[in-house]
This record gives sequence, C-alpha cells and structure tokens, in this order.
Amino acid sequence: MANTESSGSSRWFGEEGARTARLMMYILLAIVLMSMDQRGHYVPKIRSTMEMAFEPVFYVVGWPARALRSLGQQSSERQELISQNRQLLKQLLDTAGSVQTQAALRQENQRLRHLLEATQGRAYSFKFAEMISVDLDPFSHKVWIDRGSLEGVFEGQAVIDGLGIVGQVENVLRHSSSVRLISDPDHALPVQINRTGLRTVAYGSGQTSHLLMPNVPLQADISPGDIIVTSGLGDRFPPGFPVGEVERVQRDGGETFARVYVRPFAALDRGREVLLIEQHVGADVEDVEEAEEP
Amino acid sequence: MRANRESSSLIFLTIVAALLLSLLPMPGLLEPLKPYWVALVMIYWTLETRAMLSLGLAFVVGLVLDTLSGSLMGMHALSLVVMVFLVQRFRSRLRFFPPWQQALSVLGLLVNDRIILIWITALLGEPMPTWQYWLPPLIGLAIWPWLFLLLDSLRARVRRHKT
Repeated sequence: MANTESSGSSRWFGEEGARTARLMMYILLAIVLMSMDQRGHYVPKIRSTMEMAFEPVFYVVGWPARALRSLGQQSSERQELISQNRQLLKQLLDTAGSVQTQAALRQENQRLRHLLEATQGRAYSFKFAEMISVDLDPFSHKVWIDRGSLEGVFEGQAVIDGLGIVGQVENVLRHSSSVRLISDPDHALPVQINRTGLRTVAYGSGQTSHLLMPNVPLQADISPGDIIVTSGLGDRFPPGFPVGEVERVQRDGGETFARVYVRPFAALDRGREVLLIEQHVGADVEDVEEAEEP
Repeated sequence: MRANRESSSLIFLTIVAALLLSLLPMPGLLEPLKPYWVALVMIYWTLETRAMLSLGLAFVVGLVLDTLSGSLMGMHALSLVVMVFLVQRFRSRLRFFPPWQQALSVLGLLVNDRIILIWITALLGEPMPTWQYWLPPLIGLAIWPWLFLLLDSLRARVRRHKT
C-alpha cells in the first residue's frame, strides 16, 4: 500500500508501518480509557483532578456570556425594568399567600407525626445558584453551576428550578459544581404519579424534551396530563417535588409494560437560575424558617 | 518543512484557542452547529508542517478536550488520533489538491470522525443522536477555507516577524 506514494516510498516504508503500529497503540489506549471511564474505575479520579486544574478555564470561557448579559441588563429600558419589577412583586405576593397556608399544613403534619410517634418530618431550605455552562454531549447531560464546596454544596445534592426537578450535583469543585440532569441517559429518578400514588422510575432519554418511564404495568391507571412528582425513595431527591407531566402512554398489546413519555417541567438546558435543596431532618420547622430570615 | 521553534508556539496558541472555542457556550439554537474546531486546527497543522504534529500530541489534546467538555475519557483522543493519522497518511496528496477538493477531503475526514463517534455511541448502548448530529461537519466544511487563510496569514506574519 505504501508503494502508491510517488516519491520516497522506500524511505517511508518503515515509517509507515511504525506509524500504523503507533496508531493501533493509541486507539487501544483510548478504548481502555473509555471503558474504564464507563465503568467508573480510576478514571473519574483523574478526571476530577484535571477538572480542578481547568477550573479557571471555565471561568474565562464563561466571561463573554456574562459580559453580554450584564451589558444587556445595563441597557434595559427603565420602563421595561419597572414593569418587570411590578410583575415579580405580584408573583411574590401570590406565592407568599400560598406559602402561608403551607406553614399551617406543615405544623399540623408535624403534630400528627409527633402524635403517631412517626419519624420526624423534614424541612427544606434552598440555596440559589446560576448555571454557567451547559453540556449536552449525547452521552452526558450536565450543567455547571457557580456554587462549589466553599459554598456548602455536596455531592448528590438535589437541584431544582422554579418549575421542577433539574438534577443532582455530581462533581464538586471549590467554586463550581457539575449537575447531572434528569434527562441524562444514565439518570434514573424515583417518581410517583401524583393522582394515583403509583411508584415507578423515570429515566433520562438523552433528550431534554421527554423522560421515559418504561416500567409502568400495562394495566396501570395512567393517562396523559397526569402530574409526576418525586417519590423520595432512594433518599437522593426529597419527595413531592414536581418532575413533569405525562405526554403520551404507549400500550402495545404484546408487552408487559406500557411505555410512558413524560415532559419535564424544569427548563433543563434553557434555564439560568436554579435552587439547591438542603434537607433538615427532624429540625423544627420554625427553627429553619427563623434561620432563613435575614 | 523545517521544524520551527516560532511556529511551535503559534501551533500551541491556535490549539488552545480551538479548545476554548469548542467550550464557548452558544445560545440554544446555535449549539448543535458548533464545528469541530480542534480537529480543523489539527488538520491544518498536520498538512502544513510535517514534523510538528505527532500522534502523541493528538492523543493528549484529545484527552484535554475530553476533560474540558466532560465527555467520556478517551473519546476525543481516539477521534483526533485517527484524524491526524489519516491526514499524515495522505498528506502528500492532500497538500496539493485544488482548494475545493481539499475542502471536500476535510468534510470526508469530519464525517468519518462522526461515524466513529456514533459507532462508539452504539457500542455503549446510548440513544442515537438526532439529525443535527451531522451538521457540524458541514459547518466545518464551510469554515475550512477561512480558517486555512487565517492560519496561513498568521504563519506568514510569524515568519516575517522573525526574519
């Protein structure tokens, strides 16, 4: 094959073979690395060390987007800002109203638990974070947020946005962390159908448009429009948080399970602000709320 | 075909720039249109300077790209190593192709790369990507002539500066 080269073929023959051998070696090395990474041995440690080294790079790369955003904010029309402000105040009032009834419900819940000597309920507090970059590699859906170990973020922490569950924290660096989205093909989220209480698991599909629930029994009572919430099983995600809405139920006669498509509520890749959930198990609800007061 | 010290720093700088560009967050609609910057830059340097770009360098750059982009460790390393090997193999012919033929060869290399990656996707049992998966090679084809001219002029400027 090397003889098709026009000039210097004899000089190149040995080099050709050596080069092919080296290519094979590198390909083998790459395959070994990929399978090790896939199975989670050794490589994740190398990866997190390298990621820590490259942390400033992410900061630098995010700069144009941040600069543009602050520029946009600077030049917003005053009128636009005023009306946006008014709209947000109204929204705040609305949510404050419903939170008041929630507080009473929580208290009642705590009293009942105490009466039944059940395990203490949980109270949640939320930490605000901003997405600094989005990575939608078909193998892994993750976003980077601007809070890290120095701000109290820990691995496995649940992340939500204003509408629903976004994912869980995976890799924690000093000032930033990566969040694996629920749409990641490797992500499994324990959920519950709000209407019926049926528990199942919602898997990421690799696309942010829908999640898959492939283990719903064929005869189960589930229909489009049903709200799906977290079930709290597995202790990663607190129960009761909205996940999405059933879009389509595919029932094939020959199968044992129905195939359900769920549209997630959260703006997984489109959002900018997220909240990290901190659970306070057994804490008195009032104590948590007092601590939140500025 | 000399191994210039001046151009080695230029090569390093352009590779770093390509890495940063591939990380740059784009607004949602433009995101699937991102070309494979690092590969385009590596193809250029392998074509124009023989001794500079080794398979080992391609492998390392691929690993760096894997870390920065959070993809499976070794994926881009494999892709870049194969690409550089192919360019080195057919270098004597590619160098003297007319521009349009060269651009088509670059398209061929990029599409080949996408095929390798989709093969890995299939092996891993991951879901198949959408039709947008095949856009970046086309964007790369469109960008190639401009990138070539840009890097050529940068190289000429470095050479002029040094003499």
